Amino acid sequence: MKEIVELSDKIITIDRNEFLKVKGSIDNNVYYVESGSLRVFVMDDNEEQTIRFGYKENLIVSLDSFLTGKPSDLLIQAIKKTVIKVITKQQFDKFLERESNRNWWTKILENLVYQQMEREIDILTNSPKERYKRVLKRSPQLFQEIPSRHIANYLRMSPETLSRLKKS
Amino acid sequence: MMQSEILIQSLLEQERQIINQVEKLKSYDLHTLTWKENEISWSMLECLEHLNLYGDFYLPQIECNIKNSNTHADPQFKSGLLGNYFAKIMLPKENLNKMKTFKNKNPLNAKLDKTVIHKFITHQQQLLDLLNQARNVSLNKVKIQTSISSLIKLKLGDTFQFFINHIIRHVAQIDRIQAAMKNAK
Repeated sequence: MKEIVELSDKIITIDRNEFLKVKGSIDNNVYYVESGSLRVFVMDDNEEQTIRFGYKENLIVSLDSFLTGKPSDLLIQAIKKTVIKVITKQQFDKFLERESNRNWWTKILENLVYQQMEREIDILTNSPKERYKRVLKRSPQLFQEIPSRHIANYLRMSPETLSRLKKS
Repeated sequence: MMQSEILIQSLLEQERQIINQVEKLKSYDLHTLTWKENEISWSMLECLEHLNLYGDFYLPQIECNIKNSNTHADPQFKSGLLGNYFAKIMLPKENLNKMKTFKNKNPLNAKLDKTVIHKFITHQQQLLDLLNQARNVSLNKVKIQTSISSLIKLKLGDTFQFFINHIIRHVAQIDRIQAAMKNAK
């Protein structure tokens, strides 16, 4: 991870509620979160649905734009004041010219595919309690870093339900 | 002449910056937001209310015209003479170029509160949606009536640029009000 962060020559700070990316933009940067936290979400009929979170030492990418170079419907917003290192697609592609770096990237992508599958099972799990338990087991840190109302949205349940499940 | 997608991307990015600048104002108190340098100058909220009045005029019209259009997306957009002129004079210059405000768009001394900021952000979300929807129609052939006269119509692409430049102009004014407020203390 260190090598990839060192590629960046641009640091940006965004305040709480500010947008890193809006719906429809083409964004093929890779973002490394130095501090703070972000959420990636879509708007569905004026309702927000959170897809992913990023916090300290995570990479955040608008993966659809990154892979296809096309506009992406994802929005990325700061949950609190966040400091981000920007790695451009050009810098990244140059980095991938070395075989050892490509192997590293393959590992990251493999891990991502696995995470996505876990997330798909989350979403397809009927019981709110099971959904909560799965995510708590997988990412206990999430509950330290992200406010409950955003986690509730991510888990597709009301904040009240999440609060009840946390107590039980 | 420019690629339509490049225009849309540039407008989306301008909108992102506008939203981020105005988001900051949500944490200010009402005293700061309604402060004015003198009786005839605008407060920050009055700037936003002025923009909201324009939003009330243009956004429903743009939405309706996109929805009812059976045109197809053009790969290229060519600015009209008048549209290009209107968009350019809207941008703020180094030496402030004062402009006259139409009476029905002047919010001076209206009773305003923080809901003005929320309305402004809602308008910007609508505008983002419209920019996304605009990919499916012709930025050249869809025409939008101006608030100046129903006889003067601009191309959809020019209307977006003109409308957003007008917002940029008054967001810059909000920056100047904050600077003036600091100096006055």
